[in-house]
Amino acid sequence: MELSSILPIARRELIVAIRNKWTVIFAFVFGSLVLAISYFGTITAGEIGFQGFNRTTASLLSLVLYLIPLVSLMMGTQSFLRNEGEDEMLFSQPVSRSEILTGKLLGLFAAMTTATFIGFGVGGVVIATQTDAEGFLGYPVFVLLSLFLTLVFLSLSMLAAIISQRRTKAFGLALLLWFFFVILYDLLVLGGSLLLKERSANYFIFASLFGNPVDIVRVAGLLSMKGGEVFGAAGASLLKFLGGYGQAIAALVVGLIFWTAVPILASFRLLRDQDI
Amino acid sequence: MIEVQGLAKTFGQFTAVDGVSFEVREGETFAMLGPNGSGKSTILKSIAGLQRPTNGSITIGGMDALKTSLAARKLISYLPQRVGFHDCLTAHEVLEFYCRLRKLPISRIDQVVHGSEFNFNGFSEKRVSELSGGMKQKLGLAIACLADAPVLLLDEPTVSLDPAGAIAFRKFLKTLKEKGKTIVFTSHVLADVEMLADRVAVLVDGKLTAVLPIEELRQQIADKDRSLEEIYLEYASAA
Repeated sequence: MELSSILPIARRELIVAIRNKWTVIFAFVFGSLVLAISYFGTITAGEIGFQGFNRTTASLLSLVLYLIPLVSLMMGTQSFLRNEGEDEMLFSQPVSRSEILTGKLLGLFAAMTTATFIGFGVGGVVIATQTDAEGFLGYPVFVLLSLFLTLVFLSLSMLAAIISQRRTKAFGLALLLWFFFVILYDLLVLGGSLLLKERSANYFIFASLFGNPVDIVRVAGLLSMKGGEVFGAAGASLLKFLGGYGQAIAALVVGLIFWTAVPILASFRLLRDQDI
Repeated sequence: MIEVQGLAKTFGQFTAVDGVSFEVREGETFAMLGPNGSGKSTILKSIAGLQRPTNGSITIGGMDALKTSLAARKLISYLPQRVGFHDCLTAHEVLEFYCRLRKLPISRIDQVVHGSEFNFNGFSEKRVSELSGGMKQKLGLAIACLADAPVLLLDEPTVSLDPAGAIAFRKFLKTLKEKGKTIVFTSHVLADVEMLADRVAVLVDGKLTAVLPIEELRQQIADKDRSLEEIYLEYASAA
């Protein structure tokens, strides 16, 4: 793969995402979320006003785990779907199909990264000026994990678009993926664990963590923000099994790399044999 | 320059191209004629590396287009039947993108847009969303000309152009032909074929029924006092 072939495609994808206002819309959504959660987060306790980074980040994490997979899948599917006249011209150039996919993925990721930095950045600056800096270090980690989640689901959207080829089918598959990973998976794991004995159930739950990138990000986020104690006994056994906090984070990062790489490689393989 | 041997392409049960063989010489303009669904575009897409043949081989400039497709694609420029670009980009940005992709200097755009015999002017700062179908086709042709590749593959190139545009386009292709470009094109417009082609391939139901020099076709027109359309239909119905 040549960078000089990938970069023009990435650049064009970024320009298109910015001109189509997607980047601005997502930056606005992310920024509004941060500010709303920070300001109204304690409204049920009868209080109103900006909370510090610790509480805001923890609340944001739960929301982002729903929102980012959906946004990434929709934006990615839209971009990776075939556009007959455009693709015929592009794929007839002396550029490999994997370079084209990589360029598109990088461009979309750059657009989403821009939106994330602007949205969460502006929100973070407002919180920093209104509250103390306690828990501030957890905030960049949260942003980083959000970006990782974006990359995973952009890769999955690429695979969904290449498998489906047709618009309706591709968006249907993308929504199915979102529903499976964000809603259904945990229910299945919980249901499955009820059928097992306690020790086996623990192992089952631990192994199942790596079967869902959303869960990996959730656990990595909570671990990095609050340490293992937040999970109680399950967290302690996770840390014990993996050999400590650092190793646990490393294992989770490897899990996310796996969830990014596998859809990308599968997409390269599938597109190689497809007709344009 | 291009050699197609036993090319076959099936889509499920449907055979789009059935064992087609032909050769296009360097500097030659080769037209493919045939009714809708006769396999013309599939052959052109296979040469351009967009479709993988079920059987057969294609060589471009002596290179196996299936095994060394990237190297072979450096020798070609392909203009699809229906071009499409991102609406939010300007024509100039689209040209810039393809320049970068082909690793050409951006100054090449000026050479093509302002320096060629074809009138590409008037659209370069417009957004794609503001261009008519004919203008988009012109933009596609400008992209195809950027690389100055020795082989041009054109799929129904005049289909979206108005009569004046089609005439100008034919003249422009003639100049490219005089410069020694090898041109392969498909067309329903027999005027394009008569004016431009050195040889004509007639395709029916994915099979090659005849490959004739244009002089032979002209001779038949003169001898039998019939139009090119009638001669073409005779070949097509004989298959």
